[in-house]
Amino acid sequence: MATTETNILNRLYFVAGCMFVFALAVVFKLCTIQFVDGDKYRAMAQKRTIKRFDIPANRGNVYSADGSLLATSIPKYDIAIDAVTSTDKNFNKYIKPLCDSLAVFTGKTSSGIEKKISKARKTKNQYLLLLTNLSYSEFVRVRNFPLFKLGSIRGGFVYDQTTKREHPLGGIAERSIGYERKDENNYYTRVGIDGAFGKDYLRGTNGKRLKQKIGKGEWKPIQDVNEIEPKNGYDIYTTIDVNIQDIAHHSLLGQLEEYEAEHGCVVVMDVKTGEIKAISNLGRNREGKYYERLNYAVGESHEPGSTFKVMAMMAALEDKVIDTSTVIDTKNGSKRFYGRTIYDSGAGHGKISAAKALEVSSNIGLATIIDDNYKNNPEKFLKRLRQWRLNDTLGVSIIGEGIPDIPYPGASNWSRNALPSISYGYNMRLTPLQTLAFYNAIANNGQLIKPRFLRAVKEFDRNIEVFDKEVLVDKICSDQTLSKIKDILKNIVVRGTGKKLYSETFSMAGKTGTAWTDYADIEAWRKDRKYVSSFAGYFPVENPKYSCIVVIHKPSTKVGFYGADVSGPVFKRIAQKIYTDTPLIDEIQPVEYNNPQVVKDFEKFNSISNTYKTIMPNLVGVAAMDAVAFLENMDVKVNVKLRGSGVIKSQSISKDIKLKSNQTVVLEAS
Amino acid sequence: MIASAHSADKKVFEISSLSNEVKELRSAFVDNRGKLMGLKKESYIETKMKEKGIGISLNPPIKIIVKSSNK
Repeated sequence: MATTETNILNRLYFVAGCMFVFALAVVFKLCTIQFVDGDKYRAMAQKRTIKRFDIPANRGNVYSADGSLLATSIPKYDIAIDAVTSTDKNFNKYIKPLCDSLAVFTGKTSSGIEKKISKARKTKNQYLLLLTNLSYSEFVRVRNFPLFKLGSIRGGFVYDQTTKREHPLGGIAERSIGYERKDENNYYTRVGIDGAFGKDYLRGTNGKRLKQKIGKGEWKPIQDVNEIEPKNGYDIYTTIDVNIQDIAHHSLLGQLEEYEAEHGCVVVMDVKTGEIKAISNLGRNREGKYYERLNYAVGESHEPGSTFKVMAMMAALEDKVIDTSTVIDTKNGSKRFYGRTIYDSGAGHGKISAAKALEVSSNIGLATIIDDNYKNNPEKFLKRLRQWRLNDTLGVSIIGEGIPDIPYPGASNWSRNALPSISYGYNMRLTPLQTLAFYNAIANNGQLIKPRFLRAVKEFDRNIEVFDKEVLVDKICSDQTLSKIKDILKNIVVRGTGKKLYSETFSMAGKTGTAWTDYADIEAWRKDRKYVSSFAGYFPVENPKYSCIVVIHKPSTKVGFYGADVSGPVFKRIAQKIYTDTPLIDEIQPVEYNNPQVVKDFEKFNSISNTYKTIMPNLVGVAAMDAVAFLENMDVKVNVKLRGSGVIKSQSISKDIKLKSNQTVVLEAS
Repeated sequence: MIASAHSADKKVFEISSLSNEVKELRSAFVDNRGKLMGLKKESYIETKMKEKGIGISLNPPIKIIVKSSNK
């Protein structure tokens, strides 16, 4: 085939066509990248260098009434080692000193730590956790250990920083101060004050901000203005008084330990305002140590036992079905009610007044009073209890308040025996805080106030919200009933079941309680008796300041179980603490009596000391005390010798003679 | 443009190091405050003083106020 022009042209067209198709393909691909998949790639590019950051809001602090920190957020550190990254040379050189330092820090053996790290290096473990929950100062110390000092790449120092909630008071009131924790499913566990007020005040809201990646693992904000500004949480000021809390905690702990009890709680409340000054809840763990386990005072409703007799008695007094002097036959320690026997501790009290029945805490006495007067109309009695809101929760801010239970006709736990049982605190349930609120009402002249834990919510010094007392019932009963029941409560400590607590120097009023618990299986109970010992009351008797309840569950019966023995001392210790903390004030009129002799002596002394500086004055007739003081204050230093006491009779150097330094002057006094 | 970007970067580094310092000081503050609170507690003083044979007074202190009549 000859090489013609057409032939060459055809080839040229073919090559050009191929190139054109190729160019089209390039343009097509460009377009798809730019327009079709464009958004995807642009997003991908942004993701690498631009990120939306959460700016965490700082959680507010929890303060006590006097401004001490109860809960705050601080950074904590976990430290791990990347055992692979360091060179053999560095590793071998520093591993020993590092382990020695760690051994000193942790108290473990150096060889044990070394073995662990060496094993991690062999198994190529790049994250071996060594220490957790370090404070910043500890973190700085560990960071300067050998090998770690070289940093993350050369030394394998790895750390995580987390913000933890810290309670500077330690174990004291831990459960009531509480915490708030969020799990993976965004479910909040909310405990105590911190938990209850987290959502509304403490948490704050997180902010959001776009940031661009720059060097050294840092990101810089893209815009000046945050898209969403973070809002820090507010601080809350609680009503807790650190000093009373400390005493309450330690005296409760002391009693629990002495009586080997299972758990217990104590609450101190300000009578006038309802502020909770102290709340302590201690339970025993397996090792027999006590710590804040659950908020028993708020959450645990149980049969109150004898502390409830006060409510029963007050109902009867208020309904005027009895008076304090009404004679009650308590028999000789046992009495049958509807086929069931009720016992009194001891050999019985015989015929006593109603007031006395409460003083000696007679079960039969109270059961008789209530059963005799209300058996035909239990609703009348129960109406009183409802009027005092004893069948209802107080609605305190801490989550998980126990629900009280007082049976009523028609309820599953109602029977003919329910009425006499309720009268001495059985067959019903109340929480310690609910009982306390009622006793507080007695102390507060009949005004029932809601116990509260919060004083104010603040942002720095600015008040966001201030809390005031919340009245639940303005007057629970007449003034006569109040004064009668106050008298009885006072006498319980003076001569009744609480007389062991009596103190001559300060006054208290209250009711003891010793209730059976876990007695469903009565045979088992008789073999291993379990009690709840309590004491509720207020102090001082005149013009009460604080009300307080102490409940101790299952003390060892070998040591003791009566309310006055087990719980009473905690109450007394707190009452005493508050008594000794308030100085007694003694006001006196100034003594402005002028003794002419004293004035004369004073003027004489003044004139001598102003005139004679180096020359011996005439001291005869001057009080010895003044004469010595005068000579010692002269401009020349003389040695004074005094014989006798009283008024100067003679002087060894006569007057008007110039004194020399270190000269001895002998004074004779009568 | 480039210079200002770099100076902004520098400020970011500075801010992060300062906020670390704030954290450190805060942590030290809380640490020490906690210690102080522990030492201030009456129960702690009580146990410490027991060694010296000093206990808690059973009676409160008495304040004597002299009423001034020079008014």
